[in-house]
Amino acid sequence: MKILDRRKFIKLAAVAGAGVFIPRAVGGALEQLTGTLKSPGGNKYVPPPIPDVKFGMVIDLGLCIGCRRCMYACKRENNVPDTISPPYIMIFETESPVGVTGHFLSPEIPGKGTTMFYQKLRKDKWYMPVQCNHCDKAPCVEVCPTKASYTDPDGFVLIDYSKCIGCRYCMTACPYNARRFNWWEPEIPPDRINPLVPIRKHGVVEKCTFCVHRTRRGMTTRCVEVCPNRARTFGDFNNPKSEVSRLIRAERNFRLKEELNTKPRIWYLTRPKKKRMVWYRPLPPPTGIRGVRL
Amino acid sequence: MKKIGRAFYAYMSETMKGTSKAFYVFIAVLGVVFLWGSYNWFLMLTRGHGLSGLSDAVPWGIFISGLALFIGLSAGATIVGLLIHGFGREDYAPMGTRAILLALLCIFGATQFVLVDLGVPLRGLKVPWILHNPTSIFLLSSSSYYVFMVILSGELYYTIKTTLGKASHRDEKIAKWLGILAVPYALWVVHAFTGSIFGVVKAREMWNTPILPVHFVISALASGFALVILVAILTSKIQKKELLSAETYDHMGKLLAFFVLVTIFLDFFDHFIIKYSAKKEAVEVWEILTSRYAPVFALNISGLIAAFIILLFKKGRTTKGLLVATILTLLAVLAYRIYLISVGQLVPLYPGMGELYYHPTFTEISVALGLIALLTFLYLVLSKILPMEEKYHRKQIIDKRR
Repeated sequence: MKILDRRKFIKLAAVAGAGVFIPRAVGGALEQLTGTLKSPGGNKYVPPPIPDVKFGMVIDLGLCIGCRRCMYACKRENNVPDTISPPYIMIFETESPVGVTGHFLSPEIPGKGTTMFYQKLRKDKWYMPVQCNHCDKAPCVEVCPTKASYTDPDGFVLIDYSKCIGCRYCMTACPYNARRFNWWEPEIPPDRINPLVPIRKHGVVEKCTFCVHRTRRGMTTRCVEVCPNRARTFGDFNNPKSEVSRLIRAERNFRLKEELNTKPRIWYLTRPKKKRMVWYRPLPPPTGIRGVRL
Repeated sequence: MKKIGRAFYAYMSETMKGTSKAFYVFIAVLGVVFLWGSYNWFLMLTRGHGLSGLSDAVPWGIFISGLALFIGLSAGATIVGLLIHGFGREDYAPMGTRAILLALLCIFGATQFVLVDLGVPLRGLKVPWILHNPTSIFLLSSSSYYVFMVILSGELYYTIKTTLGKASHRDEKIAKWLGILAVPYALWVVHAFTGSIFGVVKAREMWNTPILPVHFVISALASGFALVILVAILTSKIQKKELLSAETYDHMGKLLAFFVLVTIFLDFFDHFIIKYSAKKEAVEVWEILTSRYAPVFALNISGLIAAFIILLFKKGRTTKGLLVATILTLLAVLAYRIYLISVGQLVPLYPGMGELYYHPTFTEISVALGLIALLTFLYLVLSKILPMEEKYHRKQIIDKRR
């Protein structure tokens, strides 16, 4: 007995195929066209800029002990999925102190097992945390074809996720390797989600925001908060009495790749090694990093 | 509606008359490759772009190489147009329409290569119209591609009108001036700004050189013209008729030799200065070029030199020699585009980053091949359907009248 003739079969198969593929495709298409359905980068998550303020960060290399607590805390705070690696902050281990040119020696990436130097300060190693420098003349903002990346007057370089088309031009243009692309659909356990930070969709670029949701509400960044040796300081450079202004005036400092004239907003101090531990808690080892052979 | 359908069917059956079985088989194969490529793109969009071999350290891969290559390949039409209309080389006329069609498809293909690379492709379609940033080279280049597509379409329309013998004197003049005006536009805006996409990136030592826009223009001329010659040879071989005379091939060979020579010159000084300057990043660029990317690097240099040597001899400028020389040139320029994009990014931005790598995955290559299959398919079908040569069609019209 013939239940299906060929024509009917083809028709049914087409309908079934359309039923499987079209809803997903149409949903995705609509979302891409309108842009703001699930990944709002609007005012709900980004408070308005504060007038007459210029934020920036100072990192004391003499105090950084390479514990990578900032890396993990940043990941939690900013809803960074585990599929994004490395996190916004990378920390390099170097053999010798850093020169004023911002170039450092001895290539070795931390992460081969856990390195924790809380009890004993290592005199022979130096640690170099790098992240988005929020440059005043940011190359990523210049090359972005859609104005998704923008500079705010109070010193932030931010991304409007509803405008980003994922061309990754900014990633090639960034001299600091600060930007991350959502290679997969992010998966974050619901109990870990920070409601103040939007969850980015697959296909857009993201990076360190200097915790704009905290700093514009009068708090400091998460990495500053968790640093056990107080190596990081965040503050207003327009205010001559602020801690960061005082540090920059008093100490020898440099910025990364200054010869490129990007005018970064993270200053590094080159002070002697010192320990002033506040607290510590053991951390898990980092996972493999995409595109880098460890 | 039915009338149009019937007319279309009649036209198709007439133009497709006499096509061999091999043609249909080849077209079917291309269709399968294209479908496989689109399926892989669908996978990349739904599952994630992580299916490609790209990473945060190396965010651009073979798709951007494809963009650079196909933009370059579209230069062929501009030269042929200039030769026909500007310098009065009427013997190039049988390739005139074909070159324009090729260029149009190549520039279309280049935009498609960008589209498949985008994380959010539909939003990317808004780029020059709704979303735009005047300081971005991507804005300049993408809008210039659209304008170039319009210019080429106009050229194609009026050339076909001329071919069909329906053109007025004014139409012929428009075709001529579009062909001539396309030359400075293509070289100045399209190709040079495609080179500037990479040239302005100050973070990457290998890209950030003022030679890059010039290099792109010259290698575009070499590869685009090589593609036109290759298509001319293959078309005459397959259709078993003399499209161009031996004298024309000789002239083509000489021109190609010149373009290849200038490409070798620029290649040499580009790499010579990278090697000699011995900056930290430049040393690393040179190391990657001579170790991991040595085969690709060697293919570029040796391919160009071999093509030039073949083209130097009078015997090398016949169809057989030209066949080898053009394929070598195309491969060399492809190799250049691949290693320029990859090695430019493989130099770690921080000395402590370890060894970066980028291996294109099967998914990525499938998508790229699918796009190339689509372009080949479109060219084959369109060059069949659209009237390509004046004589051929005039003869047909006369036959019909009899």
